[in-house]
Amino acid sequence: MASLSEEVLLVVKKVRQKKQDGTLYLMAERIAWGPEGKDRFTVSHSYSDIRCQKISPDGKAKVQLQLVLHTGESTTFHFANESTSRKDWEAAKELLQQLLPKFKKKANKELEEKNKMLQEDPVLFQLYKDLVVSQVISAEEFWANRLGGINNGESAACENKQEVGISGAFLADIRPQTDGCNGLRYNLTADIIESIFRTYPAVKQKYKENVPHNLTEKEFWTRFFQSHYFHRDRISTGTQDIFSECARQDEKGLKSLVTQGVKNPMVDLLSLEDKTLDEGYGISSALPSTSHASRTVKESSNFAIIKRFNHHSAMVLAAGSRKRDVPADQASETSSTDGNSRDSDFFQPPLKKVKLQEAIEYEDLQQENRPKTVALNLKKSDRYAHGPVPLQSQQYTTSQDIINSVNYIKHEMSNYKPNLTQVLSSAAASSAIAALSPGGVLMQQVAQQAINQMVPTEIQAELKHLYVAAGELLRHFWTCFPVNTAFLEEKLTGHLECMLQAAYSKFHIWQTRRMMRKT
Amino acid sequence: MKLNIDGLLVYFPYDYIYPEQYSYMLELKRTLDAKGHGVLEMPSGTGKTISLLSLIVAYQRAFPLEVTKLIYCSRTVPEIEKVVEELRKLMEFYAKETEEVNNFLALALSSRKNLCIHPEEFDAVGRQVPLPAGVYNLDDLKDLGRRKGWCPYYLARYSILHANIVVYSYHYLLDPKIADLVSKELAKKSVVVFDEAHNIGKDLQRLWLSGMSEPFLAFPEGLKKDFKMSKRLEKLLFSTDNVCIDSMSVNITRRTLDRCQNNVDTLQNTIQRIKETDAAKLREEYRRLVEGLKEANVARETDVYLANPVLPDEILKEAVPGSIRTAEHFVGFLRRFLEYLKSRLRVQHVVQESAPQFLKDIFDKVCIDRKPLRFCAERLQSLLRTLEITDISDFSAVTLISNFATLVSTYSQGFTIIIEPFEDRTPTIANPVLHFSCMDPSIAIKPVFQRFQSVIITSGTLSPVDIYPRILDFRPVTMASFTMTLARTCLCPLIVGRGNDQVALSSKFETREDFAVIRNYGNLLLEMSAVVPDGIVAFFTSYVYMENIVASWYEQGILENIQRNKLIFIETQDAAETSMALEKYQEACENGRGAILLSVARGKVSEGIDFVHHFGRAVIMFGVPYVYTQSRILKARLEYLRDQFQIRENDFLTFDAMRHAAQCVGRAIRGKTDYGLMIFADKRYARADKRGKLPRWIQEHINDGSLNLTVDEAVQLSKHFLRQMAQPFSQVDQLGLSLLTLEQLESPEMLKKIAQIAHQT
Repeated sequence: MASLSEEVLLVVKKVRQKKQDGTLYLMAERIAWGPEGKDRFTVSHSYSDIRCQKISPDGKAKVQLQLVLHTGESTTFHFANESTSRKDWEAAKELLQQLLPKFKKKANKELEEKNKMLQEDPVLFQLYKDLVVSQVISAEEFWANRLGGINNGESAACENKQEVGISGAFLADIRPQTDGCNGLRYNLTADIIESIFRTYPAVKQKYKENVPHNLTEKEFWTRFFQSHYFHRDRISTGTQDIFSECARQDEKGLKSLVTQGVKNPMVDLLSLEDKTLDEGYGISSALPSTSHASRTVKESSNFAIIKRFNHHSAMVLAAGSRKRDVPADQASETSSTDGNSRDSDFFQPPLKKVKLQEAIEYEDLQQENRPKTVALNLKKSDRYAHGPVPLQSQQYTTSQDIINSVNYIKHEMSNYKPNLTQVLSSAAASSAIAALSPGGVLMQQVAQQAINQMVPTEIQAELKHLYVAAGELLRHFWTCFPVNTAFLEEKLTGHLECMLQAAYSKFHIWQTRRMMRKT
Repeated sequence: MKLNIDGLLVYFPYDYIYPEQYSYMLELKRTLDAKGHGVLEMPSGTGKTISLLSLIVAYQRAFPLEVTKLIYCSRTVPEIEKVVEELRKLMEFYAKETEEVNNFLALALSSRKNLCIHPEEFDAVGRQVPLPAGVYNLDDLKDLGRRKGWCPYYLARYSILHANIVVYSYHYLLDPKIADLVSKELAKKSVVVFDEAHNIGKDLQRLWLSGMSEPFLAFPEGLKKDFKMSKRLEKLLFSTDNVCIDSMSVNITRRTLDRCQNNVDTLQNTIQRIKETDAAKLREEYRRLVEGLKEANVARETDVYLANPVLPDEILKEAVPGSIRTAEHFVGFLRRFLEYLKSRLRVQHVVQESAPQFLKDIFDKVCIDRKPLRFCAERLQSLLRTLEITDISDFSAVTLISNFATLVSTYSQGFTIIIEPFEDRTPTIANPVLHFSCMDPSIAIKPVFQRFQSVIITSGTLSPVDIYPRILDFRPVTMASFTMTLARTCLCPLIVGRGNDQVALSSKFETREDFAVIRNYGNLLLEMSAVVPDGIVAFFTSYVYMENIVASWYEQGILENIQRNKLIFIETQDAAETSMALEKYQEACENGRGAILLSVARGKVSEGIDFVHHFGRAVIMFGVPYVYTQSRILKARLEYLRDQFQIRENDFLTFDAMRHAAQCVGRAIRGKTDYGLMIFADKRYARADKRGKLPRWIQEHINDGSLNLTVDEAVQLSKHFLRQMAQPFSQVDQLGLSLLTLEQLESPEMLKKIAQIAHQT
């Protein structure tokens, strides 16, 4: 089996499960247990299936570890090795603690993915309702087909899709509201949490460390909002706050950003001045000292706010562009740490050159060689300036395209030659027109009203849903051919038939219901 | 394009030209022909630098014996590099058009910090190696130095002597300490250009203008009254970062004195040692000093060197006085002087006195005469040379003190001594400082005018141009002011005087803490952030004011609402942090998110950073940026102005404030294709006395309809303006109006039009 190639991270012997001695294996992707003397696992859980681990309290005689699965089942392992049971248990627990969050994320991600697809695609959502909610086919089967598509198409789709940045004001969206009895309510949505995590990785780290072992999610966020880390204008009072470390890390991050310096020499204020005034000369007296000692409380809180805004904006900006260039970033960081100042010298010129060139360029003094554009010709510019902005369709063509197509059409028009030998005789044409016009021979059967006006829209919608659902089932049906695996065969003979049956009966029910309503 | 400027063939490396550039070159040519000085004003963003370079290079090629060198002084390192890049472009154009090898040598010089490649080892190789022809920017010099193993700094310093074009910062010509080292031997037949470097705004002008002294007093009484107050003030503007003043001012603290004490001790020991080993050397020095500074005098009279203002004329003719002629006596003299300064720093209250008062006091207390003090700087140099001390930097403290001694005894006017026992903020901590401030920067710039054949002063705003020569006591051959020709109104100044609730907006002291004002300011920024695309820059009057407003906006949740529209970056007092914020700000503008930069007038950002195109679509000036008037040095300056030029302090302060406001809002417009909103958020801007002091190119776009707007009205006007400006603006729209082809340039009616540009002042 695949387990052969799996990496075994930890092996614990003498672990009992259901009163049977055996060995517990923690592997890269799953946890497994096999009874003693046999070389196959009777228990095997993928980490992504495990919801959480429960541990027996310290000091209890029986050293146990319970895994609770997403399905609600649970498996209990009893560490029975007398001498080392506590140690084994610790090791297993630690390892699981590290591993589970990773897979949890993965599981969540899949769920999120599905959720997102349903939200984005109303037709799919309807289909899901029709087929899965009404239990025509199982959710797994429904997704098996789709997710495959996602996973294959994922890489392409994701890369094409623009990364969505973070709103700069996500902290503003959690504006607290008083609940009337001396409390505050914070509105926290998944989006905001995601934003916080992306912007402040330090908080995410804390979250991973503390939730759910030490704190519940709710407690975590409560503490977050109480911390001075969130309220930066309050001055840090102590170090018992779990977020004080975050603040320190942020400080460090900001410092490293500052020490990294700026790449664009045009904005580098440090090297702006070619100043060679020696100490003691000049009339500008020494700057007011900015050390913390001499600041008043208010000053330093103001100072903290300003720092926070700069940091926040920088982080938001970075979060938007972070994901893709993480490896590159790391590489450059390492090189900048071990490289000496000399190679930063080597790195600098190209960008500097570009910026300098940009700075000295007078675009209007040069011959322009940009693609031709169509200027907007406004008859009444006031209306443009004040009028409502209509929603434009997403697809648009470049002006170059428009020019091209106009040219093309012009070209076609000028080259158009009617092919007179191939046309119908005028008598035949006019009789055909007469036959097709209302009241003509061919139009007599058709009622004056179009069908879409006869049938009420709700029926149309329902019918459409049924049609789509049936179509989906048929798609499932046809994907089974050619029948080359046992699974497909089973699917075909087994429940697909039932499914089609179910769909048919569903349609039947609808039909009869309609009839009944009509009569 | 090849131009014919008054008979001179000028290669201009672009296909089109602005009419004002052509006009500018004409005037410049006239100045050079007459071998005189010139004052030329042309707004920034009109390609001043390239016009200057094109013409002067063409002139140098045509008359290599008349003009041997161009010395181009700019302010910041990026500006210096920009000039060299423009020059490179020009040279490439020459190479392409003439197809012959150019033997021009042009290079940039910067401080050792910017040119060093081996911070650890001192490497002076390359001092005497001539550079091959070409254009060398700072990085090119570094590359070359790295390849050859030469020190780029010394290479550059040596090469400027025979280079055709030198680009460096003001300091190298104006700061006597550096000028003496670097620029002393530059040829007389040089053309010196002081450029305000198109983003330092009016700095240079301030610098030169504040040099006004006696000539102004010499005006006939009637003429003086005719002058509008504003025009008089304009000449007298000063700034705290004034190069001339800085280079001539000295601060002395206890630490300086302690270090000086150590220096003197070292000197004494060295003298003792040398006396034992090589007494002849000291005798030789003594002999030299008896002869006096004849050598220097001869050099000055024959005009070989650029004069040093720290070395006054009088002492050149005399021998060093006997009391400080021997080395031991001089050291003893320094000790006495030092003790005296120490006793002066032991004050309990603020003291302000003039140089003569100081001299009298020092004579009364420790019997130090004026004469030996005057020789102090020169005597110390001689001693250091004799003792063969290589590392002068260790003796910076004693050099400072001796420079102070020479200055205070040489100039009875134009300097003030202020001794403060403590900082104003911390009255409990004793930190005595002696400020010796220069009030009259013309002392520092005089030698430049005297030495060089042509000095061109050019800037964005120099008006009124005609007063300059009288102020600076030189006879210019050309004075001209050029306007920017615009094909569309690309700037929109708005004065917002009221909030939507009709609360008057102002940053004046009484309403500074008023929540209604702060809230309305916040509203203005919030509304603007929703309307203006890309970047907005907001300036506050001072750092403390900004801190308070930001804190209060934070409490009121205004900043959070602004964050919905744009990211917020804030200037801090730390330059590195601000640089980071600036770069992130530009990044945010670049990627379409849009950002707001909160900054401070008179801060580093307002002085040195441009916000071209989308980096600054709107500038909001919150309040009127008056200078902090409690500074004693400033007060002394104001008194000096009042006593010397009968200028009321208030007028001066208003003028200074408006200048700074204009400089801030002007950051957004850097060229004819650029556009931007300028919002003055203070009702005081609407008053005629304030408004009238804004530069003309802003003033002429303020109409009566935009004088006292509410926030809502301003937003409506802004929307309209921005939509109009966002329309494509192509070359064709400009052609014939503000942009010319060669054929258009040569048409007679255009030439007539161009002739007018120069005189529209």
